[in-house]
Amino acid sequence: MSLAFLHVTDGAEPHADSIWSVAWTPQDQVFTASADGSLKQWNPTSGQVSHSQPPHSLGIVSMSTDSNGKKVLWNTLEGLTSLWDLDSGEVAGKWESYVRGSEGGEPAWSVSLHPSGSTFAATGGSGNITIHSAESSSFGERKATLPSGRTKFGLCTKYSPDGTRVAMSSETGQIYIFDVAAEKLISTYTSHAMAVRSFAWSPDSQLLVSASEDKRLIMHDVRHSPSGKPGSGAVATLSGHTSWVLCADVSPDGRFVLSGSADKTMRIWDLSTRTSVSTVQDTGEVWSVSWRPKPAQHGSSGEFVSGGEDGVVRWWRSAGASG
Amino acid sequence: MAYKTFPHKSRHASAKPLAQFLRVVDHIHEALSSETPTTKRDIYYKDVALFGSQSVVDRLIDDIAATMDVPRADLFVRASAKGLFCGSSLVMHLHGGDTVRGSDSEGLLIPPSEDIRRFEVDERLSWVLVVEKEAVFQTLCHLQFSRHPALPGPGLLITGKGYPDVATRQLVASLGQNLDSRIPILAVVDADPFGIDILSVYKYGSNNMSHQGDLDTPRLRWAGVMFSELASLGIEKDTLIPITKHDEKKAFSMLKRAHTPKKWRKEIQLMIYTRRKAEIEVLSASQDGHANVQTMTYLPTSAGGIFSVYKGGGSEGTDG
Repeated sequence: MSLAFLHVTDGAEPHADSIWSVAWTPQDQVFTASADGSLKQWNPTSGQVSHSQPPHSLGIVSMSTDSNGKKVLWNTLEGLTSLWDLDSGEVAGKWESYVRGSEGGEPAWSVSLHPSGSTFAATGGSGNITIHSAESSSFGERKATLPSGRTKFGLCTKYSPDGTRVAMSSETGQIYIFDVAAEKLISTYTSHAMAVRSFAWSPDSQLLVSASEDKRLIMHDVRHSPSGKPGSGAVATLSGHTSWVLCADVSPDGRFVLSGSADKTMRIWDLSTRTSVSTVQDTGEVWSVSWRPKPAQHGSSGEFVSGGEDGVVRWWRSAGASG
Repeated sequence: MAYKTFPHKSRHASAKPLAQFLRVVDHIHEALSSETPTTKRDIYYKDVALFGSQSVVDRLIDDIAATMDVPRADLFVRASAKGLFCGSSLVMHLHGGDTVRGSDSEGLLIPPSEDIRRFEVDERLSWVLVVEKEAVFQTLCHLQFSRHPALPGPGLLITGKGYPDVATRQLVASLGQNLDSRIPILAVVDADPFGIDILSVYKYGSNNMSHQGDLDTPRLRWAGVMFSELASLGIEKDTLIPITKHDEKKAFSMLKRAHTPKKWRKEIQLMIYTRRKAEIEVLSASQDGHANVQTMTYLPTSAGGIFSVYKGGGSEGTDG
C-alpha cells in the first residue's frame, strides 16, 4: 500500500531563519518556533499568523503544549523558559534556567509541559530530567530531579500523553523512561549508538518511536503493566532515510509515524507493516513535524504540518488511501 | 583599561607580579635608551623562571602600552614575526634597505609594520585571501594558488597561524585601507566558534588591543567555510566534529556581543543546535586528507562565487 500526501499551503510569512519546532494543537491552532527567536501562532486554514511573541535575541530550541492546546511552553538557546497562557494571552511564567542556584545544574535545553499543564520537565547538559512547577506563582521552581545515571547531554524530553511517565533521549543514543509519581527510572533503552535527537509517544502511551542520527527510527513497546513487567522494548526498525532523522510524530489513530530528516524528506511509516508508505520531498532539512490531532476523516490518512530549514511552515494532507 | 596598581587588592602576594612588571619596564627602558628594539620573545627568554610563560610578558607589555596610551612599537618592543604571506604581487621595502619580495610558491614571514618603510603592490593584484590555519596556507602555496589560472588574476595569501598577531593584522588592515575597493579581501576560517572569532579579530579588532586603532579591516568578507552550506557541498553530517564545552562557551560569548553580524549568529546558532562543527579540511576529507583539489575548487565558487560577486557589485551588503 502506498499513500500520497499533497501540499496544501505554505505559511503566509516565512520565519527569518529555520523553524525548529512545530505543533498542531487540539484547538486547531498551529505554533512554530524558530532559530530567529520568534514564536508564532497560525490559523491552519488561512495560513496567516494570528499572534506572535516578541522575538528573542537567540533561537528557540524547544516547544511543548499541554493536552488541551491552551498553554505553550518554550525554551531559548541559552535556557530562558517561558509559558504562554492562550486564554489570558499573557506570558504566565519565565524561568532563567541558566542562573545557577544553590542546586547547580546546567541550563535547560529541551522542555516538555505535563499534559495537565501543572509542571514541566527539562533536560540538557546535566543528562538528567528536572521537574519544575508550571504555575505562574512558582514558575520554574524545581520539584524533583530524575537522574539517568549518566552525564550525556539530554537532547529531548517528553511526557507521555497519559502523564504517567516522562522520557529523555541522549546525545549518545540512550532513552530513559521514568515513572512520574514514583520519581523512579523504569527502563533504559540502548537501541541506538548515535544521538537520538527526538522521539514521539503514541497517543495511547504504549509506544515510543525514536528518531536518531543513525538515520533510523525505532519503535519501542513501552507498555507499563500494573504487575511491573515492562513492555518488550525495541520491536522494529524503520529504515529508509539517508541522513539524520530529526523528528517524529505518531498519528492520532496510532496507525502511522511521520518523520522528518536532514535528507530533506518526510516519510510516513505504517506501524503495522513497519514500512515506509509515503515520501514527501521538501527543499531543506525538516526539523519538526506534527499531525493534526483531530482523527482523520474516513478514507483519509490525515493531515500534518512541517517546519524546516527555509523557515516556511507547510501544511499537507492525505490524498486518500490507495490499495 | 585600568591602571596597574601594587600591592594588588587580592589575597595573593604581589611581590612576584611587581618584580615581573619592573623587569619588563627595565627592558623597555633599555631598548629605548639604546635605540635597539627588543622583542617580546627576547624579554621572556631573558628570565623564564621569573615570568613562567610568554603570555605573562605579552600581557604586561600590552598593559603598559595601554596605560601609557602609546602603540606598542613606541616602547621599542616588537612582536616576533608569526604571520606568513605568499604572492609575488607584494614587495615590502624595509627601513635599513632590505626588501622582502613575495613568492608564489612559499610563505614568507610578515615583518612588524614598524620595520616596513613602504609597500609595493603589483597593479594586477586582483584578490587577497586570509586563511586561518598554516596547514591550509602551506598547501595552497605549494599549489601556487596565488597564480592559479582558474582565478581572475594574481592574488595574495595570508595566514596569521590562528589568532593573528599585530603585524599580520596591520598588513591586512593596510591592504584594506590602500587597495582599490573592487579588490576583494576575503577570509576562510574553520566552521567553528573559534574560526568565527578569528574572523572577528581581523575584521573588527580585538578587545585588549582596542586602544591601538588601525588593526581592523572592516571591508574583510567572510568567504567560508559556512557550516550551513556543508550539506550542499556533499559533506556527510556524520563527518562533522562534535562541539566541545570550550566551543560552547566561545559561541555564547560571541552571540552576546552586540556587533556580531546576523549571518554569523545564524551559523553559530546552528553549530550549537546540531552540536557539531567542521574544519576547513573537511572539504577534502573524502579523498586523501589533504586540502587540495576540492579546497581549490571550493574557494573560487564559495560565497556564491567570490569573484563573480565582486564583479557584479555583490549582493550581501556589509554585514559579513
